[in-house]
This record gives sequence, C-alpha cells and structure tokens, in this order.
Amino acid sequence: MKNLRLKAARAGKDYSQQQLADLCGVSRQTINAIEKGDYNPTINLCIAICKALDKTLDELFWEE
Amino acid sequence: MNTSIIRSAGLAAGILVGLFIAFVIIRFANSNKKYKTEYDERQIKVRGDAYRFAFYTMMICEAIAALIEMAEIPLPFENYNLHFGNIFIACIVLSAICIWKDAYWGLNNNRRRYGIVFVVCGLLNAIPVVMTLLNRQQESMSFPYISLMACIMLLTVGAELLIKQLVDKRNGLEEN
Repeated sequence: MKNLRLKAARAGKDYSQQQLADLCGVSRQTINAIEKGDYNPTINLCIAICKALDKTLDELFWEE
Repeated sequence: MNTSIIRSAGLAAGILVGLFIAFVIIRFANSNKKYKTEYDERQIKVRGDAYRFAFYTMMICEAIAALIEMAEIPLPFENYNLHFGNIFIACIVLSAICIWKDAYWGLNNNRRRYGIVFVVCGLLNAIPVVMTLLNRQQESMSFPYISLMACIMLLTVGAELLIKQLVDKRNGLEEN
C-alpha cells in the first residue's frame, strides 16, 4: 500500500527523495520503495524519517 | 615440473594479484575512502536474496559441470574452465538481481570511478584474448578462456547498468 502521508510530509518540507534519503542515511530508491509501499522499513528507519520530517510515527506510519 | 602445476601456480598468482589490485581500487572508488561498501537496510535484504539465488545457480551449474565431466564429453577447452564459468555465471546472476532491485550501488560508491575501474578491468582481460586471436593460437590449451569469460561478465554487467540507468532516466528521478 502506498504511503501517501510520507510523500505529502516530504513535499511539505520541500525535500526531494534524494534529500530525505541523505538525511536518513539511505538510498533514494529506498525512500521511493517506502513511498510506493514496496518496502516495509524497520523501526529505526521509520524513526529516522520521522525525525527528518518533524513528524511522529503515528502521523506517518500508523494505519487507521 | 609438471606443466599443469605451473599453470595452476600462474593462475593462483594471477588471482592474488587481482585481489591486491581490487583491494587498492575499492578504496579509490569509494567516495569516503573506506574499503567497505555501505548499504542501507533494504539493499542488504535484496543483496541477501541475490546471494541466495546466485548460490542456487552455482549449485545447479556445478551439478551440470560434474555430469559433463562424468560423461567425459569432449570440450573445446580444459575442464577447469567450466568451474570458472560457473563462478562467472553466479556473479552475473548476483549482479543482475542487485542492479534491477537498486541494490548494486552502495551509499559510498563513486559511480564514475567504478566506471573507470570497469573499463580498465575489461581492457586488462581483453588484452590476452585479443593477443591470442591476433597470434592465431587457437589450441585449447593456450586460449585465455578465463579472461574471455571475465570480459563477457564485465560487458554483461556494464550493459545492464547502462540499461538500468536509461530506464531510471526515462521514468524520471522521482516516481509516483
């Protein structure tokens, strides 16, 4: 399932996938895979993404 | 001394020299001057799968090679080339999976420098092949099949990298 909230949060910060990837220490393709729902990140990477985007885990990764 | 022992020693020496060169080159080709290529968690997972498939491929190829040797089927080259061929096939499988699943390039790899390394390695392996072809030494004992297989592997991997790069460019930097 696509993670549109992550994509929206990234766009809100005006970051490209590469910029977010650099902040999180992963490749651009990994961020792309998470946004497309092709890859489920570990909790450590989720936290790194949340910190980079100033969001909480619930806001980005919790499914209602 | 037996010629096969001399040939084996030469091959072993060649592999050792190749390993030493690779050791030096890797440091030059990584952007942070580290020997170890760094991968993120997704890439590590993909590479794990790729190694598994490469291992299965090599097992199947080795079984086929063993059958060929048992059947004593005459080959235009010496039997040990079969085993080196299997190693190259496994390397191609490993590279192909990593390339198409975006796990080939590590986080600290400098792609341009690796490109130079690819070309240099290809040329180094092509030289003995071309020299042999020019000298018209086509006996099975003297033809450098291992260099030829290394060239084919480098060409295959290089072509895949280029195609992947083109596909990525065509899809745009950021996919929806």
